[in-house]
Amino acid sequence: MATMDGSTIIGESILINGNLNGDEDLTVRGRVEGTVTLTKTLVVEPTGVVKAEVQVKNCVIAGAVVGNVTASESVEITKEGRMIGDISAPRVIIVDGASFRGRIDMGEFEVREGERPERTLSARAAPRPALTTRRPSPAPAPKAEAAEKASAPRPPEPPVPAALGGAKKKVIVRRK
Amino acid sequence: MAAIDKPPAPRTGAHTVIGSSIVIDGEISGDEDLVILGTVKGRIGLKESLFVESSGVIEADIETANVEVSGQVTGNISASEKVELKADCKVTGDIRAPRILIADGAIFKGNVDMDVKGAK
Repeated sequence: MATMDGSTIIGESILINGNLNGDEDLTVRGRVEGTVTLTKTLVVEPTGVVKAEVQVKNCVIAGAVVGNVTASESVEITKEGRMIGDISAPRVIIVDGASFRGRIDMGEFEVREGERPERTLSARAAPRPALTTRRPSPAPAPKAEAAEKASAPRPPEPPVPAALGGAKKKVIVRRK
Repeated sequence: MAAIDKPPAPRTGAHTVIGSSIVIDGEISGDEDLVILGTVKGRIGLKESLFVESSGVIEADIETANVEVSGQVTGNISASEKVELKADCKVTGDIRAPRILIADGAIFKGNVDMDVKGAK
């Protein structure tokens, strides 16, 4: 609000229907429908609704955007932000709490062929033996005990202090 | 320092500003004041005031309560209250409003209708 030049604000009650072009930052608190093309940053505030094809440098979405967003630098959806549409930008930030449906294209990136297989192999090698050794020892033991108690609950003689099931069954037998 | 407290914002209560590098091709409608420093083509419909600053260029039909023009307007203006053409403005089109002020230095070409019934 302080700087009149170089910042455009679309107020809450304003509806713009059509094409919007510009070389400065744009803050939307109202509604914009059509196309938005900027060489700077588009900020959609929590009250703002943009239903448009958007082409900007940076885009910060705290309101609602329906349409495809193409940014030459970054797109950020904040925790209040809601968006439906495709994003194409080298940097895309989606914060916890934001809602988004659509595709994201961050462009091409290089995959170094030498590093990836090494990482995956070493990662797989470490946890696998640990899992196989842990699983059989603790898991079957309590299951077997429980099965025995379920099948033959009446004899109260075998003392099993550790299991909760054993204690409950003892009480029931005494009442009977 | 005291001057900084009152910033350059010339219009109090103006929530919407269309900056000088912005070009809008389409329709603008709303219930609040609108300050235009850029270019708007199409149609403008407001329930409040429209300010066309000296850098503003409008090629649109305008329907508002108040209009204050310091820039360029090509199109018909219909205001329910007042139209003010400031010095150095350029307006081409018909104006329809109960009150119309044209300042010395303003350039205007078109019809003027101050018939109150037709204003709304």
